[in-house]
Amino acid sequence: MEQKIAEIIAGLCGGEPEEIEPELLLFEEGLLDSFAAIQLVLALEETFGLSLDMAVLSRERIATPAAIAALVREGRG
Amino acid sequence: MTPYSGLLFFYLLALLLLPAVVLGLLGKPLKLYGFLFSVLMICAVFWEGGQLPALAAFCLWEGAVFLAYRRWRKRIPLWPAVCLALLPLALVKAGEVWSALAAFRLLGVSYMTFRAVEVLLNLRDGTVKSLSLFRWSYFLLFFPSVSSGPIDRCHRFLGDLDGGITPKEYLDLLRRGVWKLIGGAFSAIVLGGLVWQYWLAPLPEKGLLPTLSYLYGYPLFLFFNFAGSSSMAIGTGYLLGVRMPENFRQPFFSVDMKDLWARWHISLSTWLRDYVYTRFALDSLKKKRFRNQRTASYLGYLLTMMAMGIWHGLGPRYLLYGAYHGALMCLNEALDLHWRPFKRWKKQGWGQVCCVLVTFHLFAFGLLIFSGRLF
Repeated sequence: MEQKIAEIIAGLCGGEPEEIEPELLLFEEGLLDSFAAIQLVLALEETFGLSLDMAVLSRERIATPAAIAALVREGRG
Repeated sequence: MTPYSGLLFFYLLALLLLPAVVLGLLGKPLKLYGFLFSVLMICAVFWEGGQLPALAAFCLWEGAVFLAYRRWRKRIPLWPAVCLALLPLALVKAGEVWSALAAFRLLGVSYMTFRAVEVLLNLRDGTVKSLSLFRWSYFLLFFPSVSSGPIDRCHRFLGDLDGGITPKEYLDLLRRGVWKLIGGAFSAIVLGGLVWQYWLAPLPEKGLLPTLSYLYGYPLFLFFNFAGSSSMAIGTGYLLGVRMPENFRQPFFSVDMKDLWARWHISLSTWLRDYVYTRFALDSLKKKRFRNQRTASYLGYLLTMMAMGIWHGLGPRYLLYGAYHGALMCLNEALDLHWRPFKRWKKQGWGQVCCVLVTFHLFAFGLLIFSGRLF
């Protein structure tokens, strides 16, 4: 799952999945912006078959790849 | 009595904050006293301005919308509730440009309406599961930020109300709060006052050079005045145990317009980002409204910035201000996407200096539109 998340993020910010560290601050480092956050949520829903609520788009909940992984785990129950 | 201005206001503020400080230092809960503080300050400020009946009518209206939506939210759509919650703000804004509605006036209506609308959105999203009328009233009427922000978030605010503060934590909040109050007062009253008194006020109304001078002086005045008021509001919030969000972060060092809106009136721009831009763009992508996904982003920026302009007022200058910033945000997005040197320039060296200067001048020109001096 972490690998898939890294691939999605790398695809959005134009980097390599290996460069996406679990604690990388995605917004503070300028890797994601508001639109990329929306694309990320849609990609997570499609890849992991989730239905995420609007609250997910608050930046604290998708601040790092590790936080995103926790969110996906939570969404899967 | 104007909030954060005049000796009488500060005397009353100090007098009513004193019990909160004593309670906080003794480790006692501040929740009930905080509400009483808000009610007393609001009564004093709105009564003197003759706006207490209008405020009562506003609260009854928004309260009725909140209670109705809380009761039937699973059966009725969100948008009629949001429209009804926005109605008082729409009437006040219409009253500013149409004399037939001039009777609709209410201090702080812009900020209080955002709070009322946010509660409805949070109930719909499930980020706020349940909310009593008392807690809703507390959030709606929280005095420190009623007149000039920052726009706090319901979920965060309620977390502060429910979380206890130890005397040691309160001492830290007190220290920071007092500095915020002193720094804010210095910025708004002394620096803002000096810029107004000796720079802007003496300028003739017409002419190229006076307008050019205004272009530089007005952003400074607004920054000192507005950031100072926000700082005082945040400081007052700290003394009541509420950690309100920051509203300004060195905005004149922004490298582009996106960066600027992450530094200037932060609580407004993030509110609009979360509740207008994100919702519009997400919905557009899910429904595949546009062949090119980026169209949703461009239109989202235009919509968001127009909403920001209208929130300030319905006069032509505010509409133009919103459209101007919408266009600049679209240009910023296009440069980010299609012009590689732009990203590199923004990061360091002389390129960064140029970006800062250009951004400042674009923003200053926007404020010139906002000021109404161009028309």
